[in-house]
Amino acid sequence: MRNRCWKTFCLTFAALACFAAYGDASEPIKIGVVTPLTGTYTGIGQQVKWGLELAAKEINASGGIIGRKVDLLYEDEEANPLVATQKAEKLFQVSKVDFLTGTVNSASTLAVGQLAERNNKLIATTVSFSDAITGEKCSPNVFRVNAKAGMQSAALAEWLAKEKPGAHVFYLGPDYEMGRSTVAAFKSAAEKKGAKSTGEVFAPLGNKDYSPFFGQIRAAHASVLYTSVAGNDTVRLFTQMAEYGIRQHLTVVGASGTVTSQNIGAIGKVADGYVTGVGYSPEIDTSENRKFVAAFRGMHKADPDLYGADSYGLLYFYKAAVEKAKSTDTEKVRTAMRGIKWSTPQGMKEMRAGDHQAIQDMYAVKVVDGKFKIIGKVRGNTAIGPDTCQRF
Amino acid sequence: MDTLNPPLSILQAVRRRDHIAHNAWQVFAFLFIGLALAFTLVAAPSGDTFYFRLATEALIYSGLAMSVDLLLGFTGLLSLGQALFFGLGAYTSALVLKHVGPSFWTAMAVTLLVSTAVGIVGGFIAIRARGVYFALITFGMAQVVSKIVYNTRELGASDGIMGIPVIQANFLLFKVDTAQAPAFFLTVLAMTMGLYFCIAYLLRTPFGRTLGAVRNNECRVPFLGYNPQLYKMLAYVLAADMAAFSGALYPMLRGFVSPELMYFAVSGDAVITVVIGGLGTLIGAIYGSVILTGLKSAIGTYTGHYQIVIGVLFMLSVIAFPKGLMGYLSPLVEKWLAGRRENP
Repeated sequence: MRNRCWKTFCLTFAALACFAAYGDASEPIKIGVVTPLTGTYTGIGQQVKWGLELAAKEINASGGIIGRKVDLLYEDEEANPLVATQKAEKLFQVSKVDFLTGTVNSASTLAVGQLAERNNKLIATTVSFSDAITGEKCSPNVFRVNAKAGMQSAALAEWLAKEKPGAHVFYLGPDYEMGRSTVAAFKSAAEKKGAKSTGEVFAPLGNKDYSPFFGQIRAAHASVLYTSVAGNDTVRLFTQMAEYGIRQHLTVVGASGTVTSQNIGAIGKVADGYVTGVGYSPEIDTSENRKFVAAFRGMHKADPDLYGADSYGLLYFYKAAVEKAKSTDTEKVRTAMRGIKWSTPQGMKEMRAGDHQAIQDMYAVKVVDGKFKIIGKVRGNTAIGPDTCQRF
Repeated sequence: MDTLNPPLSILQAVRRRDHIAHNAWQVFAFLFIGLALAFTLVAAPSGDTFYFRLATEALIYSGLAMSVDLLLGFTGLLSLGQALFFGLGAYTSALVLKHVGPSFWTAMAVTLLVSTAVGIVGGFIAIRARGVYFALITFGMAQVVSKIVYNTRELGASDGIMGIPVIQANFLLFKVDTAQAPAFFLTVLAMTMGLYFCIAYLLRTPFGRTLGAVRNNECRVPFLGYNPQLYKMLAYVLAADMAAFSGALYPMLRGFVSPELMYFAVSGDAVITVVIGGLGTLIGAIYGSVILTGLKSAIGTYTGHYQIVIGVLFMLSVIAFPKGLMGYLSPLVEKWLAGRRENP
């Protein structure tokens, strides 16, 4: 009798152990998404969400990652690092996510990256473009799959050098830290390619009247104007330039956030001819991208932008790395992620091992009839620039 | 002369009533400590980190809320920019910890020196105005400073300052590692409650009574022989120090600071905290902060529109409980205390 009891106990225990082991393997892989769901950046968070949802649907339909389904857990970032760290900690500690993404605000990405380091987890951003994230403030636990600010200006400078060698460039930025740093970054990239700087001015944020600056632009005899103003400032700048007839002998180029789908309607016809450097456009003419755009439209009834495309690509990046590592263990996945190549709507991307910045082809796009047309392509290796990360 | 002085019995009754109200708040303070210790006993064995750190954050914000209550509830000054000093404390402590040395006490000492200095300058600007003008000036100062920090590369600009090291706070007999969530929670609990008891004591001294007089009728205070401007200044600087003191703990908890710490959202939340907890009770600020932080975290997981919930809650508490949680609960305790005293 006693023997039988013992046997039953053993069997039950074995069955339970089996079940537990099996349960672990079939348990979904949890991916935390801390992204703005309310506030000014809701539009960006929406694209991040749509991109991830499409990729998760496709991956789960084709059997998941190493046989495990992908589960997305959302928290609102509010584009505020104070909120983002608290939410990320909840996902790491309470929900026990395997991986985390979605942060938009560069400060959030940096702060959550530090938190990931202290929790021994990995994160990736698909939106933040501050160069510091994979530069001076790089972290062994943070990866970036989208193009950084430096790559955008490098692509634009490359295009400028080819189209207008030795151009005289004038710079007009919004007068705050980000405006000054974007101008400084493009200035150094353009000068390296042989452009001549003829002057720079900084207009206050929300400036109403740009005409005082037009005289300076004229006097400088510039053939190219670089600007990094954004939102409604762009609308006023472009309209006033057209009214004063400044545009006729001037090629206007700028940051990727200067003319966007949000303000292009308000700018209207005078946006035509504007050139910028970006990492993605729905116009990219490859079979992968056509398939992606069609699937995205089918699922969300909207066009993907660069945030949607990069977030979609991110899940395939994680899938490739986990399949290579055959595990979700932080150490193993990190090793697998370094130097990995994976397929995205933009074509093959490569994760540079030295600073965790993805290498990807960049595009110069021009506004034609209110739409962005690709007019040039810059190879990823030329655009990315040197590895400045010192920490690992 | 007799007609000017109220009868002794009324004075005694007022004093007794005041004493009982004070005792009721002390009951809630000890109840809070008891609840916090009970939480520690439950959560520590389970190896939890997140809830400890969330609770620590709530305590840190409660220091800021207490400083708002000192100004609004006890001196009658509505500050809409108290986050200025909270952020100032956080940035000062972050810079000291990162560039001078990872010493808890140095960080706290430097923070209090800086906040006193800035508080005096800010006070000179702000306390000249009254009522809504005071509120607008404090709001404006916080906006200006946060924009300056946002655009100053040396302070990390919009990215803030990262990489503030984990430190060992040395309390002579023992050391507390800020990365150990339960230990750091208990440390912050001790400091917050210490701050509470100090300020609660101070408010019962003649200094505190004078602040009450300024709140009730500023114009009469000079006739009693006191200078209201001086007392408003002292209250402003003291509140600045309280906010900076709690702000200095923030980078020790989160390891970074960013300009958002000085934004209106933080100042505004502090005012809401005080109103929900109970204006002019001091202890209400602590309860309010725990309620607000907990609600935000819990509701935020289910819906992005938690602000609607907080907003409705705020309106409900203003309409149904105009004296806040403590204002509603403390009469019950006062009755019990008064009854106990009459039948010993």
